[in-house]
Amino acid sequence: MRVLLRPAQYLALAAYILFLGFPLLWLISASVKSSGELNSLTVSLLPQQWHWDNYSDALDRQGLVHSAGNSLVVALVSTALVIVIALPASYVLARLKGKIRAAGVGWILVSQVFPVVLVILPLFLILRTIGLADSLAGLTLVHTTYTLPFALWMLQGYVSAIPVDLEEAGAMDGAGRWTVLRRIVFPLLMPGIVATAMFSFVSSWNEFFFALVLLQSPENYTLPITLNMFIGGEGKVSLGPLAAGAVLAAIPSIVFFTILRRRLTSGLMAGAVKG
Amino acid sequence: MTLAADTRAPAPAPAPRKRRQGTMARSRRREAIALVMPSLIPILVLSVAPLVMGLALAFTDARLVRNPDYDFTGIDNFTKLAGNSFFWDSLRIGLIWTVGVTVLQLAASMGLALLLNSGLKLQGLTRVLALIPWAMPPVVVAIMWQMIYSANGGPLNAFLGSVGLPDDTNWLGDFSTALPAVIVVGVWVGMPQTTVTLLAGLQQIPQDLHEAAAVDGAGAWRRFTAVTWPSLRPIVTSITSLNFIWNFNSFSLVYVLTEGGPGGKTMVPVLFIYLEAFKNRNIGYAAAMGLVLVIIVVLLLAVYLRSQFRDDRAERGR
Amino acid sequence: MKSRRLVAAALAAAASLLFTACSSGGDSADGPVTLKFQSLSDQPAAIAATNKIVDDWNKAHPDIKVEVVQAGWDGVYDKLITQFNAGSAPDIIHYEAAGVVPFAKDGYLADLTPYLSEQKKTDIPKGVLDSVTVDNQVIAYPTELQSYVVFANRALLQKAGVTIPTGDTMTWDQLREIARATTRDGAYGLGWGLSSPTAAMVALAPGFGGKYFDGTGTDAKISVGQGEMALPQLVDAMAHQDNSILPVTLTQSGSNALAPFYAGQTAMTIQGSFQAANIAKDAPAGFDWVVLPPLAGPAGPAQAANPQTLSVNKDSAHVEQAAQFIEFFTNTENLAALNEADALIPATTSAREALTTKLGAQNGWKEILSSGQYLTSAPYLFVDKYAQWKDTVATPAYQKFLAKQIDANGLSKELTDGWNSINR
Repeated sequence: MRVLLRPAQYLALAAYILFLGFPLLWLISASVKSSGELNSLTVSLLPQQWHWDNYSDALDRQGLVHSAGNSLVVALVSTALVIVIALPASYVLARLKGKIRAAGVGWILVSQVFPVVLVILPLFLILRTIGLADSLAGLTLVHTTYTLPFALWMLQGYVSAIPVDLEEAGAMDGAGRWTVLRRIVFPLLMPGIVATAMFSFVSSWNEFFFALVLLQSPENYTLPITLNMFIGGEGKVSLGPLAAGAVLAAIPSIVFFTILRRRLTSGLMAGAVKG
Repeated sequence: MTLAADTRAPAPAPAPRKRRQGTMARSRRREAIALVMPSLIPILVLSVAPLVMGLALAFTDARLVRNPDYDFTGIDNFTKLAGNSFFWDSLRIGLIWTVGVTVLQLAASMGLALLLNSGLKLQGLTRVLALIPWAMPPVVVAIMWQMIYSANGGPLNAFLGSVGLPDDTNWLGDFSTALPAVIVVGVWVGMPQTTVTLLAGLQQIPQDLHEAAAVDGAGAWRRFTAVTWPSLRPIVTSITSLNFIWNFNSFSLVYVLTEGGPGGKTMVPVLFIYLEAFKNRNIGYAAAMGLVLVIIVVLLLAVYLRSQFRDDRAERGR
Repeated sequence: MKSRRLVAAALAAAASLLFTACSSGGDSADGPVTLKFQSLSDQPAAIAATNKIVDDWNKAHPDIKVEVVQAGWDGVYDKLITQFNAGSAPDIIHYEAAGVVPFAKDGYLADLTPYLSEQKKTDIPKGVLDSVTVDNQVIAYPTELQSYVVFANRALLQKAGVTIPTGDTMTWDQLREIARATTRDGAYGLGWGLSSPTAAMVALAPGFGGKYFDGTGTDAKISVGQGEMALPQLVDAMAHQDNSILPVTLTQSGSNALAPFYAGQTAMTIQGSFQAANIAKDAPAGFDWVVLPPLAGPAGPAQAANPQTLSVNKDSAHVEQAAQFIEFFTNTENLAALNEADALIPATTSAREALTTKLGAQNGWKEILSSGQYLTSAPYLFVDKYAQWKDTVATPAYQKFLAKQIDANGLSKELTDGWNSINR
């Protein structure tokens, strides 16, 4: 059985990677094609002529690098805030029993359902009154706020998947509550925290609508806004430079994933629960 | 609001325990509140307040004009909405889109997460590659897939042509293929977050549970249902509910890919609300639509979650 | 208890913040004035041209400084509506007539009639000026226009024995004839990207006497009759009777219909006039293309105008200075330079003539610029629910018609019924 299983698994994995990775490959291919070739009927992965100008064009335009810097700051800070705030709260939420928990959890879900379109105007007014409209700090706060429900929801799910017996076992061994949390719960929660951090970073990095509406000055623009400016009126798209800009924009995310992927494993659970 | 450890602590005598429990419980409660408060404040100011304001408008005839002059109109907006067949059509499409994407996302991501957890070679690399869709902002995703789906200049049709299948389908332009094509893109976009979430959940399952089951003679499938699935269940519930909501609310992807066409086949409800609120500036009517959507989605979720919690309780009782 | 009090306090604070009136305070000092000009330019040449005009102004007027704030076309509507509703819109707003008229009706734009110089007024064709006039107030200066023109592959036309029309205009029937004649050897006569059909149908209807709407604002009524149905039916006939339109283009965007044109799969293509610049750049070496004369229906060569516009925010503290800047921006020399960079048609006759003199010899410019004189205002600009009708009723209906899922009667019924149900 096992002999047959492995090749099938590799095949399945290859199929998945192809599905997930091919569009990026095509995008990279588009980023080195001239606009003449992009607007022709020829379909080939390799360009007929390598057209590196798209990259210099993309970098010259509209302050791509500067807005990438803005995006990076907003994404990192909001992710840190989200984890710090959500972690304790989600622990409480997960260990609660009964109606209050259901209400809290229910509220978290409901707040995500309301279309952002209807919330955006009051939100803008509120931010303006606080003095944070058109600022990266305001955007960071908004990203944090709108990622918090997700983080709470997910982390409390991870926490509830950790059996309470482990904490009790620790308590019975005489460890204080904070020690139990630090030594037993936190390490087990690490994959969940990493998953949540990844998600928070990415949703902030890619977020478009709030940034579009809340940021007015070009020096505050984030990366998706700048990339969007490659699309002109009447739906004209400068495909080559946009593809080049998009490839460049994907790099920080991929770097972030590579750094964090090792933390996605836990393996510390082994031997924690002995009969 | 007591924490589990409290009630199960062994006690020498009832009376002293009760007094100790009283003060301990209160300090626990204060502690818990202190832990929750930092998340409450931004949520209240930046999420609840705008939401309440937005919802309140559903009962008025407000419009986005320079000198807003609106009146409370009670449920007028809702009666008007009941007869708006475009809205209900879009709701049907929205549910097909949402359920389609959510279910497919879960199935595909589960498969991928299991594979990524199987100790295959090059695990580090494949785990990063699996996250590629996450690295693209929505505008780029839409443009990328438009290129791929292109009827006469795209790789999909070129590939189909090379293996002898019909190669001239306009995937995003044909009435019968548009919604499925857009669903595929929705699944593509959503796979990383679901996969990562499930993978983290899989990682939390202690290895010896698997080993114990294997020693007991359980095959791969039995191990999945007896060991993996029960642990994973709360996480699956979490991510499926969230995916359901996000997919329901996602409109920029559909909008850029097809603008709701062809023939209105991909006109999802949030796009409809956007048009009503921003293009027609009937913010009150749009808010009423939003409220109706919220109620419907919440009802659907409540049904789903209740069935999950019931099974949860049944399992724990076992 | 403490937590509940905290919550209540937070809510009260939030509420009191909300009720504080907040209007954008402009500085009323008599010192130097700074104007914010939100400009939408997507490609480097146009951005450079805009910046040059602004620099020239700033040098000549050190006391009225104009600051350019770049924004993108895609998503500008959402940005503007939020800016206006929150009172933080810039002084000078760049957009287009179809988008800006609703803002005018909502009261956000300044009346520019007193600032419009006599000279400028006569320089702008009446039809174009009408497209930016709401309730007898001029709410924007038109700057750049585009029209739908026919690009043709001269080699393919000659091979089919067709004489290239050269008059002032050509008729749709002529187009149909040429398309029929050039549909041969596996190629099609015409490629027309109609994935978003409503804009083209409504813009070209004036040539057939079609208006689509009577009246303005909330009282507008739809009228779908002979004039409105003529063009859809012509396209249907060409596509399904003559088989002279490459079928896949009917569900593609205009830009995507260029690839078959370059490859010789279609002999002609109907595009926005601005594509001339792209065709010059992207067509294969040696590709011999021309622009055919403007298309004329039974009612003439008129097309609906949707110019790009510059407007002034009504709540700006310096409306007069802003209007002065716009007058400068739209003088002949500046307007010609901008339109040359954008490959569009200037909104003033003098700029158009200047550009014809300068670029007339270059391929296509003469015909495109001359088509500009036939652009006129159309009722749809002033109708309240046009955007929603377009996106939820008209576009799906046209798409279904072109896919032969409904017939002509079905189309006109859907257009009318859809409008009525939106306006209930």
